[in-house]
Amino acid sequence: MLHVENLTAAIGDKPILKGVDLDIGEGEVHAIMGPNGSGKSTFAHALAGRDGYEIGGVATLDGSDLLEMTPEQRAAAGVFMGFQYPVEIPGVNNMYFLRTALNSVRKARGETEVGARDFLAVAKQAMELVEMKQDFLDRAVNAGFSGGEKKRNEILQMAVMEPRLAVLDETDSGLDIDALRIIASGVNALRGPDRSMIVITHYQRLLDYIKPDFVHVLVNGKIVQSGDHTLALHLEDHGYADFVNHDLDDAPEKPLTGAPS
Amino acid sequence: MSEATREIEELTEASYEFGFSTDLDTDVAPPGLDEEIVRLISAKKDEPEWLLEWRLKAFEAWQAMEEPDWAKLDIMPIDYQAISYWAAPKQKPVLDSMDDVDPEIRDMFDKLGIPLHEQKMLSNVAVDAIVDSVSVTTTFKATLAEAGVIFCSFSEAVQDYPELVREHLGSVVPVRDNYFAALNSAVFSDGSFCYIPKGVRCPMELSTYFRINSQNTGQFERTLIVAEDDSHVSYLEGCTAPQRDENQLHAAVVELVAKDRAEIKYSTVQNWYPGDENGVGGIYNFVTKRGRAHADAKISWTQVETGSAITWKYPSVILQGDRAVGEFYSVALSSKRQQADTGTKMIHIGKDTTSSIISKGISAGNGQNTYRGLVKVMRSAENARNYTQCDSLLLGKDCGAHTIPYIEVKNPGAQIEHEASTSTVGEDQLYYCRQRGMTEEDAMSMIVNGFCREVFNELPMEFAVEAQRLLSVSLEGSVG
Amino acid sequence: MTIHPDPSSEARLGALDRIGEIGYPTKRDEAWRHAPHRALGELTFGPPVAPGIGVPAELDNQIPVLEGPRVVVVNGSVDASLSNLAGLDGLRLSSLAEVLAERPEQVAAHFEQGDSGIADVFVALNVAYGADGAVVQVADGVVLDVPIHIVDVGLPAAAQNATCTGVLIDIGVGSSATVIETRVGAGSEFGGSNIRTTIALADDSTLEHVLLQDVPSVQVHLSRVDVTQRAGSVFKARSFNLGAAYGRIAYNVQLAGTGAHADLSGLFFGFGDQTLDQQVNVVHAAAGCTSRQTYRGVLDEESTGVFNGGIDVRPGADGTDAVQSNDNLLLSDRAAINTQPRLEILADEVACKHGATVGQLDETALYYLRSRGIAADEARRLLINGFADQAVDDVGIETVRAWIIHRLGHDHA
Repeated sequence: MLHVENLTAAIGDKPILKGVDLDIGEGEVHAIMGPNGSGKSTFAHALAGRDGYEIGGVATLDGSDLLEMTPEQRAAAGVFMGFQYPVEIPGVNNMYFLRTALNSVRKARGETEVGARDFLAVAKQAMELVEMKQDFLDRAVNAGFSGGEKKRNEILQMAVMEPRLAVLDETDSGLDIDALRIIASGVNALRGPDRSMIVITHYQRLLDYIKPDFVHVLVNGKIVQSGDHTLALHLEDHGYADFVNHDLDDAPEKPLTGAPS
Repeated sequence: MSEATREIEELTEASYEFGFSTDLDTDVAPPGLDEEIVRLISAKKDEPEWLLEWRLKAFEAWQAMEEPDWAKLDIMPIDYQAISYWAAPKQKPVLDSMDDVDPEIRDMFDKLGIPLHEQKMLSNVAVDAIVDSVSVTTTFKATLAEAGVIFCSFSEAVQDYPELVREHLGSVVPVRDNYFAALNSAVFSDGSFCYIPKGVRCPMELSTYFRINSQNTGQFERTLIVAEDDSHVSYLEGCTAPQRDENQLHAAVVELVAKDRAEIKYSTVQNWYPGDENGVGGIYNFVTKRGRAHADAKISWTQVETGSAITWKYPSVILQGDRAVGEFYSVALSSKRQQADTGTKMIHIGKDTTSSIISKGISAGNGQNTYRGLVKVMRSAENARNYTQCDSLLLGKDCGAHTIPYIEVKNPGAQIEHEASTSTVGEDQLYYCRQRGMTEEDAMSMIVNGFCREVFNELPMEFAVEAQRLLSVSLEGSVG
Repeated sequence: MTIHPDPSSEARLGALDRIGEIGYPTKRDEAWRHAPHRALGELTFGPPVAPGIGVPAELDNQIPVLEGPRVVVVNGSVDASLSNLAGLDGLRLSSLAEVLAERPEQVAAHFEQGDSGIADVFVALNVAYGADGAVVQVADGVVLDVPIHIVDVGLPAAAQNATCTGVLIDIGVGSSATVIETRVGAGSEFGGSNIRTTIALADDSTLEHVLLQDVPSVQVHLSRVDVTQRAGSVFKARSFNLGAAYGRIAYNVQLAGTGAHADLSGLFFGFGDQTLDQQVNVVHAAAGCTSRQTYRGVLDEESTGVFNGGIDVRPGADGTDAVQSNDNLLLSDRAAINTQPRLEILADEVACKHGATVGQLDETALYYLRSRGIAADEARRLLINGFADQAVDDVGIETVRAWIIHRLGHDHA
């Protein structure tokens, strides 16, 4: 379904991804693990279409060239990105945002837009999935949300948008164990034969809850090893030391500008 | 004149039955301003002697005053002697159908979502719209009369309620208040008068009524609203539809008097022609708006300013009575070459008075947006409270945002808080929205409207929706 | 205004002409809105004259006593007997008169009028008559851990009641230093001091500049500090505006190099009929600079406080991060505060914030303290001290902090 071949990404003349190859089949869940600064988030953004990178190589979704598309076209094609640092948008109602997003995507696909009432039903279901109360939808997008609430909001959006490919970037960062459990069960409920997922994480912990079909280790902009979920357990015991070149000089990735610190 | 047109004209005349029309010969005074012109205006309007004296006093004051120096405004000098200060009200040409309306305007109407019958009224397309307007007017008139509310043109008020006008005219904005207020006082053409008797809650938003009837009120408009004890009124002026005018200078004065426990809510949507990309031909909008709030009274100003080449206005509240409340909610957008210098003054005199100010300035293109405000707490104002929040949003590299608040406090019991921030629409915010499938323009519009949310919430519902659209339309082409 | 001609150099002669062109400020000048215009007009300026009275023997009781380099300026002339001009490694400390005589090119910038000419009449007066004072020159790559103390003593003479002093501080590349400027005086005659400090911070240098204004309450004090910061430099200004009938401290900081940081904080604490005026303008002229302005005012009796603070972000100064706050306590029903925090933004990608508050002591906090057995007056004083002392905490040098606390009477509360 997703085909990535020799994908490179650079900021200015600084290379970050140095040729990533990855194929993901229908319904598969792939975990990408790696130390800080290895290029994990960049890989996610390269798939979602964030500006500011020099991109090379190939990335297709169901045969369509993702790299040619704007972020919104990719969203319409079925790419959903769960942000590591979900962005606050003051004054914009969460429900309104979500409905606009859903209808934008539906419109781009030539589908009919969803009316307010039908949408509410969809949203309610999604809220139960992440154990959110009604007032959650009435607040502004991510504004004043706790770390856990922001991440739950991402999964809520994913549930409503029903993507072909979900890319979850460090969805577990900054969560306590209860929030992690809620999010993982939300993600698991959304697994299905038509939906593939890329779960990006630094720690093995999340993978106790979301069992991946494949695990890839990304170090210094390249996938250095792939395997099944036992690879994650190996990393848990041995860390990344086995994979890290001693000349690892990439700076740690910074949060998006403007993200709450 | 065809039979059909005559009929329409008659209907049009009929629509003025309630006011907004004066029976004068069609004529235009020669350009220039002197005492004779002031006398002419007063005579044409058949005004009582006291009002002529009042105008002359204002004229004398104006002559002695200096034009303000435009701190943040880059302005072409105005030749006050080149303006004609008197023209009999003209009928706009009546159009047969919407097809005759400037396509650009029609396009704007559609974008704003203005209902067709109102589109027709706004563009002076006759037929059913006018008929509709007559019936609406008649209904309004009956409802208002039943409640004892007076709502009529200023000229009519001078004839029919001279004692009310005389008591309150200039009581909030004295003739020598500022250069433009003095000019307006000397030569004002017409405007509105509104009187809410004791204990009456005005049975309708005066907005809808006003919107249909307020066209062509002229260059020097004068509005006076008096709310007696325990009364309540909500008033909306202006309209989201684009307004063009051959007069470049507009200098209006609005006076509000809220007596004990009365409440006046005054909302403005201003979309005067801003000029072209180079700022040529835009309206200069210099307005003096002020209210006096007596004990336990509340005056609330809400404004959405997207038009005019230059906007200069500071709707203010004199919090005279104890426990009076003043509010100011503002969205001001400057794009193209527009310059907006706007804000408010809250003058705390009474005890336990409170004021709050929420100002949202948006600068795009080559626009310059200035918030200039004064919060003044007099010695007598025990326990005064003010909260001010000024946020500026910059869209682009060639625009500017200026925040210049003055806070002057002479009473130790006051609690004053001022917060301001300036930001841009974050790349990350746009990216987040686009990742969720929205186009860049939709995302921008959503984020900007979110920025203005607190102010839009203060507008009457149907205008809030239009104001949002207006903002989006005004920002078109500002993305990127 | 009475003016006596004298200046020798061309620049200073030019400034003399400029005085007449500019004229005295009026209430219509934003920066001088709340100044006592009549008193300003009664100041008489000229070349330095002998003091009307002698330097008080107990001068050291009036100022913080710091070991190390010190320049004492009395009525606009350096008093060598009270000063310690011995330099340290990497530090050259001189009197301005000496530098003007021997190597004037090193202080030319201080006297230049800029492209558009001097806009402030008191700067023009200072340029014309401020021919002596202190020159602090720190070489490249020097870290000075001893503070440099510059003391200005104003002793009005009958013939001429106002004095002008010039202070220049140059910090070399990568160096760091601390300079304390203390302004005091004596006598009960009307008079004024007009002191202009020019600071140049080279790349990656750091300066902590503490200004203690404590002239007699019958006098006028006018301080003006012009700062130019190059890339990566750090300027910390700490001002304590305490004395004078009208005490004015004005900063004009130019962030001219990428990544420079200006951190200005201050306290003004007024009694009697004092007017204490802070004028702060921080200009972001380069990208990626940060600035902080944190000012606190306490106004008691019939005093008036003024804060006019600006953040001015020029085109191209992207990535600016500027924050400004002014919090004020009014302790009397005859005191007043006028605060005007300005933002002027002409660049993209900026994050600027400002805030101002005016309030009185928190009743709940008072009640809380009293419920713990502290008497009302004592509780009140504790809270005022707590508010004011937050500005004192920003000062790096213990001796100076102790002096301020003592001066505010907070040590024997």
